[in-house]
Amino acid sequence: MSQQTVLLLALMIVPLLVALRIAFSKNPDTGYRPALITSWLLMIPAWKLIADFDFSQGATTQFAYSISWVESLGLNFSIGMDSVSLLLILLSVLLGPIVVMASKTAIVKDKRMYYAWLMVLQAAMVGVFAAQDLLLFYICFEFTLLPMFVLIRKFGSTNRVAASVKFFLYTFTGSMMTLAGMVYIVWFVAQPDQLGQWTLDIATLTQYASNMSMGEQTWVLLAMLAGFAVKVPLFPFHTWLPLAHTEAPTAGSVILAGVLLKLGTYGIYRFAIPLAPTAFFEYAPEIAVLSIIGIIYAGLICWVQTDIKKLVAYSSVSHLGFCVLGLAALNVTGFSGSILYMLSHGLSTGGLFLMIGFMYERYHTRDMNTVGGLASKMPIWATFMVFFAMASVGLPGLNGFPSEVLCLISAFQSDAAWSAAGEPGAWGSSLGPWFAVFAGTGMVIAAMYLLFMVGKICFGPLREPEDHHPHDELPTDLSMREIITLSPLAIGCILFGLQPTMLLDAISEPVNNTVVLVEQANGLESAPTRVDQMIEHADEHHESAATPDHHTPEGASHE
Amino acid sequence: MITASLFNSFSMPAFLADPSAGHGEASQHLAQLAEHAAQHPNAGPKWVLLIVLLPVLGFVLNAFYAAFGNKSKIPAWTTIALLATAFIATLSMFLSYEGTPYTVQAFEWFNLHYGDKSFVANFSFYIDKLTILWMLFVTGLATLIALYASEYMSHDIGLGYCRFFAAFCLFVFSMACLVMGDNMLMLYLGWEGVGLCSYLLIGYFYKKPSAVAAAKKAFIVNRIGDLGLALGVYLTFVHFGTVQYSELFANETLHTYINAAATGDFSHIPAQAQWIALLLMVGAFGKSAQFPLYVWLPDAMEGPTPVSALIHAATMVTAGVYLIARFYPIFLVSEHALPIVAWIGTITALLAATIGMAQFDIKRIMAYSTVSQLGYMFAALGLLSTTGAAFHVLTHAFFKALLFLACGAVMHGFAGQLDLRKLSGVAWMKGWGIVGVTMLVGCMNLAGLPYITSGFYSKDMILAEAFITPGYRMIGWILVFTAILTAYYTFRVYFRVFVGPQHAEPGDEHDDHDDHAHGEEQNHDAGPHGDHHSDHFHPHAPGWAINTVLVILACASMLSISLAYIQKAEHHGWVGSMVAESSASYHSPYAAEAHYAHVEHTDMHPVAGPVGTAAPGKVFGMDAHAGMILVSGLGAIFGVLVAAYFHGPKGWQGLFIGGRTESDKCRMDAIARRAGPLPRLAENKWFVDEIYAAILVTPLRIISHIFHWIDKLLLDGLVNLFGFLPRVFAWVIRPSQSGVLQGYAVSMAGGLAVLLFVVLVIVMNSGGAA
Repeated sequence: MSQQTVLLLALMIVPLLVALRIAFSKNPDTGYRPALITSWLLMIPAWKLIADFDFSQGATTQFAYSISWVESLGLNFSIGMDSVSLLLILLSVLLGPIVVMASKTAIVKDKRMYYAWLMVLQAAMVGVFAAQDLLLFYICFEFTLLPMFVLIRKFGSTNRVAASVKFFLYTFTGSMMTLAGMVYIVWFVAQPDQLGQWTLDIATLTQYASNMSMGEQTWVLLAMLAGFAVKVPLFPFHTWLPLAHTEAPTAGSVILAGVLLKLGTYGIYRFAIPLAPTAFFEYAPEIAVLSIIGIIYAGLICWVQTDIKKLVAYSSVSHLGFCVLGLAALNVTGFSGSILYMLSHGLSTGGLFLMIGFMYERYHTRDMNTVGGLASKMPIWATFMVFFAMASVGLPGLNGFPSEVLCLISAFQSDAAWSAAGEPGAWGSSLGPWFAVFAGTGMVIAAMYLLFMVGKICFGPLREPEDHHPHDELPTDLSMREIITLSPLAIGCILFGLQPTMLLDAISEPVNNTVVLVEQANGLESAPTRVDQMIEHADEHHESAATPDHHTPEGASHE
Repeated sequence: MITASLFNSFSMPAFLADPSAGHGEASQHLAQLAEHAAQHPNAGPKWVLLIVLLPVLGFVLNAFYAAFGNKSKIPAWTTIALLATAFIATLSMFLSYEGTPYTVQAFEWFNLHYGDKSFVANFSFYIDKLTILWMLFVTGLATLIALYASEYMSHDIGLGYCRFFAAFCLFVFSMACLVMGDNMLMLYLGWEGVGLCSYLLIGYFYKKPSAVAAAKKAFIVNRIGDLGLALGVYLTFVHFGTVQYSELFANETLHTYINAAATGDFSHIPAQAQWIALLLMVGAFGKSAQFPLYVWLPDAMEGPTPVSALIHAATMVTAGVYLIARFYPIFLVSEHALPIVAWIGTITALLAATIGMAQFDIKRIMAYSTVSQLGYMFAALGLLSTTGAAFHVLTHAFFKALLFLACGAVMHGFAGQLDLRKLSGVAWMKGWGIVGVTMLVGCMNLAGLPYITSGFYSKDMILAEAFITPGYRMIGWILVFTAILTAYYTFRVYFRVFVGPQHAEPGDEHDDHDDHAHGEEQNHDAGPHGDHHSDHFHPHAPGWAINTVLVILACASMLSISLAYIQKAEHHGWVGSMVAESSASYHSPYAAEAHYAHVEHTDMHPVAGPVGTAAPGKVFGMDAHAGMILVSGLGAIFGVLVAAYFHGPKGWQGLFIGGRTESDKCRMDAIARRAGPLPRLAENKWFVDEIYAAILVTPLRIISHIFHWIDKLLLDGLVNLFGFLPRVFAWVIRPSQSGVLQGYAVSMAGGLAVLLFVVLVIVMNSGGAA
């Protein structure tokens, strides 16, 4: 077991131990300090992991570790990470101290319970991205539910019970179906004409999964999507989200938007696409249509909200539509854009939820008709609010832009007709320009609702609730603690916006491999550039023939 | 007749019928220029980056001043110093330019490689003469206007002052990225960046609901255009495989298309390639406030006047012109794009001029005049004259900035008064002489008085182009008519506000006197003047900073006449020589014919507008330029005389034909009363805003509410129903106990049942298949 593996394990085990320590302490008001220190300290192993990660082999599972559990059933406990998992783990670890700091004054009673569950959640989030076998993935996937359920139910606002129940039941029902699909794959691979023995190793399963017939793949895909689409959430399975977000405490909303929703898109990228590549290719346009409906429909709903938190919650539905669109395009730009979107959405929407949380602590209302025009009273708060809103709008130079550009370009490029016409063409599924045009209206709609929000809450004459009185502990404008809480996200937004290349390089290998996997499963060869093909019409460039082997898969599992 | 000419002119083939003229050469020239930049990437001197970095530094410093609560004029001086340095850097970039475009890279931005394909867009800058032309006036005017603003904004010293100059610097940075970027994503970054700054600065008086609404409107309407631009950029990448200028302009496919277009044969150019120009065009219409996306610009006047002058008159709104000029090769290969641009520009010019005639708010009159003049520039682009467009951009930048700043001085001095009925004889008041004289210079330029103004030369170039290009004579006459209207509404302002009997009522609000809904809060923004009342009101004459800037701009407006004479024979003036060495380089084949060959094409182009009998290229039997000098010169003088008659004061100040003796009564009032609903319609901007609200915004709002209810009742209702079933189930099985826990258990069981079902189905299914 290498040093890095120990660190990776530490990222999971240390928060669990701290959670136990907090839960069994005698003082019910303890928790903030240990949670804060732990979450800051976890940055050290996280940093060490990036430093040691070999990005030139981004697709290879690194720092891998596996213990056999029940050998005859192939049950292992195996962890490891490729560069996509690494980045998502980093996002989870980065959000840790932020949510703890944001909770300092917001949570006043039962701190022990709160911070203990927060730490459990932290461990589960790392686990879900580090899992290399289905069982561990599924356990962690479900285990993110329970802490979030408690956070909403115990620490949410007025309608918290209904919200928590709906959140739990909806996502749980969905993930049961995911489990069914996964179990079927395991069973399939264990058949004598396939591997012939039980295994839960994701890489091995991926190798054999494409042997399934189209009918089987379709069912498996539907089963897996049932769980992941609810998580994302993809239209029309999104109705739990606005309620859960609105009722959850700030930290819950930040984690929900920042990481838990990404479990859905990560699941699609990591499981649904590789395990059912033919079926996903077949149904990609339908999935893309749902995501585009989500972009427009949820965006327009945002525009008529008066509850600011509900507005941002619906904006998540709209934004994640871009993310799924990129995945449905099934090409390199799409996957890259989608993974970037998973990361960037966590920063800007997380930031917006924090802003709302800080406002809520002072005014105890989320109604934009009751409170507004805060720029004159809270200029620092308003500056951050405008900043995160602009990041969310997708202003170039900030984080939303690179991912949005790539997702939309991918829809434009995506055109399987090139392969159907006998031309070798790795253009992904059959989306095409209209998908990009309709999804692109999301850009305008996002500007509409976010500027509507900023215009109401920040600008205009000052409006405060009638019974408003200053908070006992908090200053009128943001306190230093709150500014420190926001700064990493703000800096992250800028760096992300100016240096997407770093991230694109890091994920390029796994993304390329996934594309090759889909192409091979669908009998497509890797293609010359679309541009070359266009030139064929004009002059003699068509001799620059396809070089089918230029995406040689590096990962051993895909050979 | 009109319809016929309109339809006819919508097809390019007739337009570019002559393959020997201009086109092929332009393609070769372009390829040479671009290839040089492509072969020597990142070869330029690094100090060019200063032009971009200095404004960023200014932004950061101003943010620090704001954080540390600076309460002095230091933010202004910092900004002025940095921007002046940036201007000097631009100047040395101009002087050291050696005739070939080059790129300078700051750092890598997008670099996505996959296989042998790549999506590359770096933070780097492409310098050719078009870039230099634009940057010269952007940085120059920004410096001057910052100086003006140092005095204008002084009532807001403190946080507001820092905020203003921070956004100001950010604007210059964004504009530099827009103009200097070496790829379309950099252009897009600048494009959205200037949109953001425009949003922040229009909403500068953020407590005022009308300012907040105007800012929001500007951003959203621009975003509609931006969507077009973004899609155009993506399509460019999908089609040509690159978004970098040096590669794009050297792209062989593009040159194949250009040569095909030169023969008038568009059938071999894929529709995808032709769509690029149409999409980019939408972006240009949004940013440059062209019909139907012009509605945000007049409202943008809610911002402080220096902002209106810099962003909403001189620089940002010309970004659309820059976009089309920059991608002229792409526009040339689209069959319909340039004709649409020409007509949209013309319609906008006329429409905005008619609205401008009926407004009473002098700043809004200037805003509509900006829209109208931008229409001229678009018409020029559509008429194959990038030189005419660029020249008009340059002269307009000077005289419109001057006009806005002079109006701003009035507004500043009279406590926000902008109504031309409530001001009179301002030029004769103590300390207002410079404003009066410089305003006159600006008005003469805008009206285009013959020979003595730069506005005349640039407008003449556009008008002449319309008459020498077959099928566009109609546009020519509309633009001539608009020029008369322009002269009228410009001098209407001058005759009413600046000359005549002295009279002044102060404004009681800062910006907007139309909207009486909000009384008290605005007094805060209006600074010390807001508290004054008319009985003891003393106008506050402009100080040295404002006067200096006005004088410099007036001189610049007059001196830019000389630009028309530099290299006149080769390139139609200095601007033409700048444009010639860039991707915008293009000479209309008809310009050559009109001047040198006098070929008559009447038979080939049967529909050429109302004077179809005259040969194209001739006006009243004269060479188009000579004819236009006569027509547009006389038109301008006629417009001024009409303004003098209806609005001019009695005596020499009204050119002896005016009859106004009071500030708020003139001969026009009687005419307007008898003209029926027309003046009222024009004053209300032909109700375009209301029409948009009725056919776009309200329905969308209703749809959104419907979606909201569908979401709440239908979708969520179904989910709740589904969630309710297990409980019913549980209740049936064991009626004595019920509770939430029960629900979980049952739903878990239900889930497992579903799971088993699915597995079974699949197993059976696969068994059947195998």
